[in-house]
Amino acid sequence: MSYDPEVYKDPKLVLALKERIAEVARELGRPVKIMHICGTHEHEIGRYGLRDLLPESVELLAGPGCPVCVCDAEYIDRAIQLALTPGVILASFGDMLAVPGGIPLRDGRPGDVRMSLLDAKARGGDVRAVYSVFDAARLARENPDKEVVFFSVGFETTVVAVAALLKRGAPGNFSLLEANYYTPPATSMLPTLEGFDVQGFLLPGHAAAITGLKIYEHLPRLGIACASAGFEPVDVLSGVLSVLLQLKEGKPRLENTYRRVIPYEGNTLALKELFEVFELVPQRWRGIGVIPDSGFRLREAYRGYSAEERFKEVFARPLPRSEREHPKGCRCAEVTLGLVRPSECPVFGKLCTPDNPYGPCMVSHEGTCRAWYTYGMDRGRIEVEV
Amino acid sequence: MKAGKKAHVERYGSVRLSHGSGGKLTLELITEVFAATFGSEPLKELTDAAILENPGGRLAFTTDSHAIKPLFFPGGDIGRLAVAGTVNDLAVVGAKPLYLSAAFLLEEGFPLEDLVRIAESMKATADEAGVAIVCGDTKVLERGKGDGVFINTAGVGFIPPGRDLGPHRVAPGDVVLVNGTLGDHGIAVLSQREGFELTLALRSDVAPLNSLVEAVLAAAPGTKFLRDITRGGLAAVANELVLGKPFGIRIFDHQIPLHPDVVEYSEMLGIDPLLAANEGKVLVVVPKEEAEAALEAMRRHPLGKQAAIIGDIVRKPQGLAVVETAYGTRRILEMPVEELLPRIC
Ligand code: SF4
Repeated sequence: MSYDPEVYKDPKLVLALKERIAEVARELGRPVKIMHICGTHEHEIGRYGLRDLLPESVELLAGPGCPVCVCDAEYIDRAIQLALTPGVILASFGDMLAVPGGIPLRDGRPGDVRMSLLDAKARGGDVRAVYSVFDAARLARENPDKEVVFFSVGFETTVVAVAALLKRGAPGNFSLLEANYYTPPATSMLPTLEGFDVQGFLLPGHAAAITGLKIYEHLPRLGIACASAGFEPVDVLSGVLSVLLQLKEGKPRLENTYRRVIPYEGNTLALKELFEVFELVPQRWRGIGVIPDSGFRLREAYRGYSAEERFKEVFARPLPRSEREHPKGCRCAEVTLGLVRPSECPVFGKLCTPDNPYGPCMVSHEGTCRAWYTYGMDRGRIEVEV
Repeated sequence: MKAGKKAHVERYGSVRLSHGSGGKLTLELITEVFAATFGSEPLKELTDAAILENPGGRLAFTTDSHAIKPLFFPGGDIGRLAVAGTVNDLAVVGAKPLYLSAAFLLEEGFPLEDLVRIAESMKATADEAGVAIVCGDTKVLERGKGDGVFINTAGVGFIPPGRDLGPHRVAPGDVVLVNGTLGDHGIAVLSQREGFELTLALRSDVAPLNSLVEAVLAAAPGTKFLRDITRGGLAAVANELVLGKPFGIRIFDHQIPLHPDVVEYSEMLGIDPLLAANEGKVLVVVPKEEAEAALEAMRRHPLGKQAAIIGDIVRKPQGLAVVETAYGTRRILEMPVEELLPRIC
C-alpha cells in the first residue's frame, strides 16, 4: 500500500489536469491569480508540491484560511490570564499553544517577542492540550473541583461540534472562551480591499460542506470565478481548471467541483443547531480589523457557558499589551490577506521559524508561513541533480 | 517462605519504597523477579559488576532510557521497547549485540504483576535478539514522582573485523531502502492515548533488528550506512544523514510502504507519517549495484516482507532532504521540530 491508493491522488489524472490547465492558461493569454482561503489547502498544496504543476501565468495564493492566525491577540492574552488564574484549567487545541499574543515577553530573544500559552504554562499556568471540545468537557468531569475553560478557536466547521456539545448539556464547571470565526463575511470583504488583485477563488470543501455554497452567490457578480474544491491533488487542480475555464468563457460562476461532499444549501441540521446556540456578532480578525457578522457569540440561553460571564473579574483586568497587533516586522496581516508571500517577510526562516515562532502564521500547520517553511515553498521549484 | 516471581507478587502486590532501599526487598526483587526472569549467569551471581568474555576486536557500547505512555500498547510494551531499542542501536553500527544492562526506575505503588509482565517481555525480546541481560539496578520513586516505570538499558556489541559503516561512505548515486511500513509505532501508540482509544488492526513494529541487519550485510557487503528510524521518523533520519554534507537525499513518497491504518489515521489527524515514530525499522544506504540484493535479503526476512527502495542520494540540493511525488513535483522534508499533535481541523 502506497501513498496514492485513491483516484483523487491518481498520477495519470493529475498529469492530464496539468496539461489541460496549461492549455487553457495559454488560450487565456493573461496572468491569473487564484486565492484559496483554507489552511488545509495550503498544506496539501505544499505537501504535494502542486505549484510545480501550474504554468507561470497562474499563481495560487493563500488567503485568510487559518483560524489560529486570525485569532485576535486579545483572546490569547485572556487565555493566558485565565490559565494563570488559580483553580482554572485552560484547555486548548495544541495548535494554539505557541501562538504569540499581545503581552510583551522579555526572554533574551531578539525582536518584539510576545507571550504565548506555553509561556503561561512555564509560569505555572495549568494549560492542557486537547483534541476536541469533547475532550475538554471530559476534563471538566474528571476535575469537578476545578473550572475548565475551553479556548474555542476555529471556523464554522469546528464550532458545530461546540454547539452540539452545549445542546446536549456540558458540565457546570465547563465554559468557553469564545474565539470562533465565521468565514463567509471575510471572503466577501476581500474583493473590497485596495490592491486586491485576484480573479478566482477556491472555496474550502469542508467548510462549505457546513455552510453550503449559497452564501458565496454574490462573488461571481463581482467578476470573480469561484470553485469549491476538496483537498486531494485532483480536487485542487480541478478547482483551478474550473476557474480558468470560467475566466476564458468570460462567465464567472460558482462551481461545485466537490460535489461528493458539498450540498448547495449546506448541512441544514448542523446549521440549525449552530445558530440555536450561537449568534453572529462583529468580530476582530487579527491584523485585519473588525468584520461585521463574522464572529460567534453564545446566545442568552447559553451565556452561562461563557468564560467572559463566569470570570468577569479576569476580563475586567487591564492587559499589559503592545500597541501593534503583530510583533514588529511581522507581515502576518498581509500574508493572511494574500497580499505578500511569506518569503517577502524579512524575518521568515531567520528570526521566525516553527521552533521559535515570532509571528502567529508560523505556528499552526494551517498557517501560511508554517506551510511554506515546512515544505520549502519559498524555494520555488526544487532542482535535483543526480 | 516461598520464593519466585508469583510468590513475590502475592506477597507484596505493588512496588514499595523499600524495594529500592538496597535491603531485603531489593534483594528479593532482584533474585525472585529479575534474575529469575532474565536467567543469565552473571546476574544470578549478584556480583557488583558483570564479568564478561571478551570476543576480541572492536566493541560498540550504547545506552538509552525509555519512557512511554501507555506502558502496554498494541504490538508491544516498554520492556520489549527497552531491549529492542538498544539492540537496534548496536546493530546499525554493524555490531553483533551481546550483553545488555537493565536499570529500572519504579514508581511506588506500581503493580508487581505488571512489572513481571514487563520483565518477561524483556527476556523474550532478548532471546529473540540472542543477547543476555547481565546486570541491572532498581530505584523506587515516591508515588506521583514517576510514570509507573522507566527503563534504561545499556548494551555492548562486538564489531566483526573489516566492517565500516557510516555517513562518511555515503555518496551520490547510492540507493536508500527501508524494511517495511513507516509510522506504525507512532500511530499505534497515539491511537491508545486518552481521548482516542481506537481499535485498529495496526500494531507497533517494535522488534530487534540485528538478524535482519546481518542478512542485509551478508547479501550486500558494500552496504554503507544503516540507521534505525525511531522518534522523528524518516524525516529525522534523512535530515541527520545529509545535514552539512556535500550531498542530499531524495525520497519518492509514492514508494514508501504505509499500513492502511496509518494512511487513514494520519490523514484524519493531520500527522505526516514520515514524521511518526518507528521501533522496528531501519534505513539502509547501499551502492546502486547492490540495491536489489539488499531488497531481496530484507524481503526474505520476517521483519522485512514489505521492504522497499524509497529513494537515492543526490548531488544537489546539498544538505537537504527532498520528497519527490508521483507527479514529479518536489518539496522539502523538514527536520521535525515538535512532538506530534493532531491539528485543529
Ligand atoms: S514569517 Fe510569517 S509569521 Fe513569521 S514574522 Fe514573518 S509574516 Fe509573521
